Amino acid sequence: MKYITLGVVDYGIGNHASVVHSLRELGYRVRVSAEAEVLDATDILILPGVGAFPSAMQALHERELVGYIQQKARDQRPIIGICLGMHLLAGASHEIQYTAGLDIIPGEVVPLSGAKWHIGWNTLECVVADSLIQASDSQSFYFNHSFCYQGPVEYHLGISRHFQSLVSVIKRGSVVGMQFHPEKSQRAGRDLLKNLISGLTNA
Amino acid sequence: MLKKRLIGMVTVKSGWAVQSIGYKRYLPLGKPECLIENLDRWGVDEILVQVIDRAVHGGAPDFALLEKIARQGLETPLIYSGGICTIESGVLAIQAGADRLVVDGLLHDDPSIVCGLSERLGAQAIIAALPVSRYFDRVEWLDYRTRRSSPISAEVISLIETGVVSEILLIDWRHEGYPHAFDQGLASNFPLKNVPLIVFGGISDSIQIAELLQMKNVFAAAVGNFLNYREHAAQKLKEALLGMAVRNPSYESKYSSFSNV
Repeated sequence: MKYITLGVVDYGIGNHASVVHSLRELGYRVRVSAEAEVLDATDILILPGVGAFPSAMQALHERELVGYIQQKARDQRPIIGICLGMHLLAGASHEIQYTAGLDIIPGEVVPLSGAKWHIGWNTLECVVADSLIQASDSQSFYFNHSFCYQGPVEYHLGISRHFQSLVSVIKRGSVVGMQFHPEKSQRAGRDLLKNLISGLTNA
Repeated sequence: MLKKRLIGMVTVKSGWAVQSIGYKRYLPLGKPECLIENLDRWGVDEILVQVIDRAVHGGAPDFALLEKIARQGLETPLIYSGGICTIESGVLAIQAGADRLVVDGLLHDDPSIVCGLSERLGAQAIIAALPVSRYFDRVEWLDYRTRRSSPISAEVISLIETGVVSEILLIDWRHEGYPHAFDQGLASNFPLKNVPLIVFGGISDSIQIAELLQMKNVFAAAVGNFLNYREHAAQKLKEALLGMAVRNPSYESKYSSFSNV
């Protein structure tokens, strides 16, 4: 039996403990590192993140991870971005100052419209039939953010509604971004992560 | 649709979880990590851990407790309160496992640090605690360290209005620990109408929680002592709130795979 190994990209921002614990509870092997050799030996890259976009991009540049992650996306290596990690996948962000992102999924990160924040549990609505997240349609997940992804509809996998609809899951090829925190979303989050990881590794 | 939240509150003093009554009497409950584990298992929407003796002794956040909690691998968002007195200590508390922070004494001492925290971590991670009481029609704000009340300062009002913090933890400190005692007038008369409130203090039953969550500016109700009197207390409250914009209760065992044996 082949174990699935997940590489949590450690770029020094926020706290990885919950993500790592959640993934290990699901039975995966987890490596946390900023080193290419360590991350190369994993099946999926996980890009977590809490904090502001500009400092996160700066941290990725300082660790020479920008080119590395972009190359892995070109190589069709599965990547999962969580919350700020999803934002980093976009072309740029307007948070604090205009900052270029990883530019893996076309689109920009802009302030929420209609509300300053989106904090709490909200429902995920799948907008693409038979996607990797289909089983999580109508489930509630934990959100905590004030900026959101805005980009072409072809990359939208799921939306949520808070005054207006906002894109909560995006996908391009093997790269997926989630606006919410599955690792803090109890059983719903666990189920989604399991389905997503299983789908990405079997694709 | 965004749900309104039921928050489980754990108050910690001298390293022990306590029942707090009126901000002056404390009865021991046990190890904080045991209560936190229960709340996580019961599926509350957020867990708020407030360590009430850090700032009084001039201390930093309780990193040892945060590390213990992090090792538990909570699947519920964690809000931490207690001893955050610098930007660095707030950042370290997040790195130690907190998802959001509550500031209280800092609002009295140096609101500019609250601004700095908000810039570093984002306003969505910052909650302002306002222990208040009503004096005739006026809302009075308590400095829990000096036990003196005064009107909420213009500086703090401005801080809240400009979006430096995302929510207010509105604490009815006089009625804390007493059943069905929260003064709803504190929420309905709160001067800033567009700021999301988390209400706490003397909130014990589903009827009261339903009334509070129906208020437009109340986004969450935090319950402390009254979740500790019976097993699955959080689910029971949620069951009684079915039909409201609240996440449904969930019952699960971490050993559910046993059913397949």
